[in-house]
Amino acid sequence: MLKGRYLAILAFMAVCVHGAPVTMTAAQKESAVFLDALSVPSPGEVFSALNRSCRPNWATLVTTATAPVTTERAQLALAVGVLAADGYIAVEAKEGQQVKNVGREIMNVAKSLGVSQSLMGRGNSLIEFADNNDWDALADELEATENEVKSTMVGQKDRDLVTLTSSAAWLRGLEVATGVVLGSEDVRGASPLKQPELARRLYSQLELLPDRLKGSHLVSGVGQVLEEIATLLETTGLSKDQERENLRRIHEKAAGIVQSIMASAGSQSSPTPAITPEASKEKPPASASTPVSKP
Amino acid sequence: MTPNGSLLLLAMILSPMLVGAADTNLLLPPKEAADHPNPSGPVPTEARRIALQTAGAFVNDGFRIRDGEWPISLSLGKPVFLEVTLFAGNSYWFVASSADPVSRLRVTVYDSAGTPQKGEQWKDGGKSSGDSAAAGVAPERSGKYYVGVELLESPRSGGVDCCLVYAYK
Repeated sequence: MLKGRYLAILAFMAVCVHGAPVTMTAAQKESAVFLDALSVPSPGEVFSALNRSCRPNWATLVTTATAPVTTERAQLALAVGVLAADGYIAVEAKEGQQVKNVGREIMNVAKSLGVSQSLMGRGNSLIEFADNNDWDALADELEATENEVKSTMVGQKDRDLVTLTSSAAWLRGLEVATGVVLGSEDVRGASPLKQPELARRLYSQLELLPDRLKGSHLVSGVGQVLEEIATLLETTGLSKDQERENLRRIHEKAAGIVQSIMASAGSQSSPTPAITPEASKEKPPASASTPVSKP
Repeated sequence: MTPNGSLLLLAMILSPMLVGAADTNLLLPPKEAADHPNPSGPVPTEARRIALQTAGAFVNDGFRIRDGEWPISLSLGKPVFLEVTLFAGNSYWFVASSADPVSRLRVTVYDSAGTPQKGEQWKDGGKSSGDSAAAGVAPERSGKYYVGVELLESPRSGGVDCCLVYAYK
């Protein structure tokens, strides 16, 4: 009893002594750290928010994961991000075989990047968790695998590639999420996707890349798409129809660049067809790696 | 007075003092750093272990821990901030831990304007080997937020190593 009283006094004193948190200063906001591993949301977070607002049919969103055949390191780094997001979709759909396929493709890309040595254990874990239908562990392992690829990139003095992987994962997540929202009649669930600051931040990080990377048409394309998407996401005061049109444009831009990322060298990527609500009810939204049957 | 009576009287005089002494230990200044089992200071990986252990409690409630951490060196009166992107509809717990049991941490979530957000606060109450504090929020709006970690108390003159992790559902 006495202890409880003392603890209450302590708690009161702590508030009096330390005070309640106050509003941040401009300098504090300026000094805030942006950390790839925590500041960029994982596709799992995007899909978690989507699950609450739209309840997507994940099974229809699973795509065949095929890594591009290329020697361009920037494209390979971007592909890791897209594949990681595809892995999350397969986890949401509880498609164990597809998660294994994604894991295998990530290993292939990692091998091409020369960062596969430390990833063999991850690949085995993905297979084991998929066989045991351990979906939570699979989601954790996917994020860990993506992060391990990134940390190996950093270790090999390829830190710049990390931004590309994060940007691609977010763009693929946005492509899927906007596609799902467009499938609903009242574009329910669009508000959680409004992350213009993140699009701007990723764009500004790409701007800081060395010229040898920025010279890649894919990297400059990703940067351009991020900037355009940021502008579209910043638009406010739209009617429901304008909101749908806005989302459709975001979806098309994200899908188009994801398609280019996953295209093998020498192959021609085609723009993704637009989605209509009627079509999306019947069919999953057009995806970079999903074959789209035209209406 | 009989010997038994003297003993009883002595016990009556001493017991409030003993009980009081035991309870007022809570009000005494924290144990000096020199008494710490590791006087050279805690190592960041231990802070990470405690942070993950603490966040692990939220996993039972359906939360998923991000595979990443923010290692920080904190000084008194100098809060540090991390930019994060949160989604409306999701719930989050941000956990900061230090392996130093004599430190006191506080975690606060701010919106993009820098205004502290209302939410849940959690303290380990000195049960674990170090010190942990956590802030839980369920944002109403998606976007940029800041997570502030500050050192409220520490007898150390230098920095205190901490680690921040977060979980979402």
